[in-house]
Amino acid sequence: MTVYLCEDSFDGILCGVYDAWMGRKGHENVRLEIEGTRDPELFCVYETAVIQREKMQKVITAVRGKISEEAYEKIYVASLSGEEGRADAVYRFLIEGFRYGAGVLDMLHLPAVFEIFKLCRFVMNEGHLLIGFVRFASTKEGLLLSRIGPKNDVLPLLADHFANRLPQENWMIYDENRRKAVIHPEGKSWFILREGEEMWEERLSWETDEEEYQALWRIFHNTIAIPERLNERCQKTHLPLRYRPYMTEFT
Amino acid sequence: MLIQEQLTIQEKLRILSDAAKYDVSCTSSGVERKGRTGSMGSASEAGICHSFAADGRCISLLKILFTNQCVYDCKYCVNRRSNDTVRTSFTPEEVCRLTMEFYRRNYIEGLFLSSGILHNANYTMELLCRTLWKLRRQERFNGYIHVKTIPGADPELIRQMGYLADRMSVNLELPTAEGLRTLAPGKTREKILQPMRLIQTGIVRQMESEGMMLPAGSEALLRAPSGLGLTVGEGEEKSRLPEWGQAVPGPGAGKTGAGGARLDGAGTAARAERSSVNGMQAGGAGTAARADASSVSSMQTGGAGTAVRAKMADAVSAEQKPVSPRQRIGRSRYGTYGVRRAPDHRDIFVPAGQSTQMIVGATPENDFQMLTVAEALYQKFGMKRVFYSAYVPVNEDSALPALTKQPPLLREHRLYQADWLMRYYGFDAGELLSQEKPNFNVFLDPKCDWALRNLGLFPVEVNRADALTLLRVPGMGPKSVERIVAARKSAALTFRDLKKMGVVLKRAQYFITCSGKLLHPIRMEQDFITNALLGEERRSVWDITHQDSYRQLSLFDDMHMEIPGRG
Repeated sequence: MTVYLCEDSFDGILCGVYDAWMGRKGHENVRLEIEGTRDPELFCVYETAVIQREKMQKVITAVRGKISEEAYEKIYVASLSGEEGRADAVYRFLIEGFRYGAGVLDMLHLPAVFEIFKLCRFVMNEGHLLIGFVRFASTKEGLLLSRIGPKNDVLPLLADHFANRLPQENWMIYDENRRKAVIHPEGKSWFILREGEEMWEERLSWETDEEEYQALWRIFHNTIAIPERLNERCQKTHLPLRYRPYMTEFT
Repeated sequence: MLIQEQLTIQEKLRILSDAAKYDVSCTSSGVERKGRTGSMGSASEAGICHSFAADGRCISLLKILFTNQCVYDCKYCVNRRSNDTVRTSFTPEEVCRLTMEFYRRNYIEGLFLSSGILHNANYTMELLCRTLWKLRRQERFNGYIHVKTIPGADPELIRQMGYLADRMSVNLELPTAEGLRTLAPGKTREKILQPMRLIQTGIVRQMESEGMMLPAGSEALLRAPSGLGLTVGEGEEKSRLPEWGQAVPGPGAGKTGAGGARLDGAGTAARAERSSVNGMQAGGAGTAARADASSVSSMQTGGAGTAVRAKMADAVSAEQKPVSPRQRIGRSRYGTYGVRRAPDHRDIFVPAGQSTQMIVGATPENDFQMLTVAEALYQKFGMKRVFYSAYVPVNEDSALPALTKQPPLLREHRLYQADWLMRYYGFDAGELLSQEKPNFNVFLDPKCDWALRNLGLFPVEVNRADALTLLRVPGMGPKSVERIVAARKSAALTFRDLKKMGVVLKRAQYFITCSGKLLHPIRMEQDFITNALLGEERRSVWDITHQDSYRQLSLFDDMHMEIPGRG
């Protein structure tokens, strides 16, 4: 078994796919892994997929031309997943994709397609939830700060949404599981920054004068519930506990 | 009445959100609007939930009353005139500030503004209008706004408001005029239906000017019969909704019980008949049958609407071409009222459509009455949504259920299930319930219940049956059906594949075959399948009725207990 180690990014996975495919060792004899996610095994040969622009470009062209634009979107979204096996899932999906062409996305009965479908669903669902659950706190200067801890790398999904919604604001969302942040300067487009944790902690501790609105929001959140209909289980289903530490009304 | 002027904003928010919490229609869906430079906010068609309250209901909008002072004395309402509570009022500035600051922090998706009636309808409506104007024009708020229309307000005010809000609603509150008379002495049916009609007219005009109204038969977003309501004279308003307060026609009055009960039956009789003959094809209504039925009904009813109806029938029968199926998987059967997309900087009249709400369990109406009224609201008033709100006793009154009574949550749940079946699954109210069986089954959801009453139509073959037939199988929904139809082009599907596509086999297994085989060898027999399904459903029923474990079991208070197939 040859294991191709990819860097943890869409680019890394694409290069892994290229190397694994071009190695011509047979699909059943290769596997893709994200660097550092699993312990090395004894009877495996490890190869690192080096990131090169032309490799990525070739894979992208092939996917868009021989499968479909939609398939390209799917593998991008799947690469944002937090699942350990995401790189290999993309590879297995592309094998089916190159075999069946554009229709492959409808073939949910194929295990590889179903796997990608599951990964994408989880990423998109979490992205959708967080679009609602993100809470900003405003600093004295009017900068909006938010902290999240999602299972999937949903920052790019959130960035588009909030850039559209709050174009005239300076805001920042920090993903503390991946130690990176999306930053949006007023009236400009957003970008993603990876830096050391200390720096983010320092920035996030900037003073906010939030007492008033946070208190108002908590009042609203409490009074809007109808006591006769109390249903914590339903609340937990819709708003899982893992999101709550980041939300104003639950802290 | 104690009117407090010097309250802090915190106290006002507490009082006025507490007073607004019984309103259930708080979704932020129905319109897609991109952000704009220079303003704040956008809207998403699917709607976005920002939090969930302790009762498990979604918090999407800042749901508040402008004021809880009210001139009316509706018996069920917490803000009724005769209640001795602290009364207060926001100022337009306060509402704007709360909305903008909450929105900026992503607490909310927008504003839901309702109000008690201060002085009179027009005065209140003007206050609301001024608030929305400030929010939209001065604060440049581009997020979602849902506003309650005050019954009895001037049409011009309603029109102005429509251009500022995304969704408007008037609450029907009680499904019958009789109920309204007993519990809401200040309101009448006409007073509530009139603004509904005004909003519907405005929405249709807007859609016409956007080129969204196409003749029936094409890929129409709105079918011709729905547009009909606009040309009907004032005199007919009253008869647009089924009226149960008067003598209900006996079984002999109409061809089917359901058909006879409706006063305005353009197309309804045909549909009811068809559904009893061939329930599985309810989605694809043939034009001819509908045209016939409407001309028949226009003969019978006579009166104000005849000419219009006949004209409509002509228009419909002129197009003898087969209509594209009315039911499109994943879209509401009643068409889309509202422009849905607000493309540029123009003002659009109520782009997210209108909704309404009915209280469940405050008056003795049965489920069939509720559902028929809801169906009529969708068909005749172009509602986007009808909401059901289990009555929570807040006042003591001889005309109301006792204060100790628990809210009929299971009944509300069943009504929502049926509402979805009508909009997205192609069911008619008359198929789910009837005069003879006017209430939902406590133990089974309406779809399983229907399937068990129509076992002759099952099992269906998953690899061959058309999409609309699959949609009627318990355990399948629009998404899974779409996936099945796409996937079966390339392979014969098995039960394991179905599971991946989101089919709930626990329910579906009794009603489908894959390549001619059932999942387990079972008897296609009502009692057997009923018992099998009951075990599955019992748990969820228990969950709904036991949301607090210390509560008394109230399962049978408002239900006719009945196990299908035995009655």
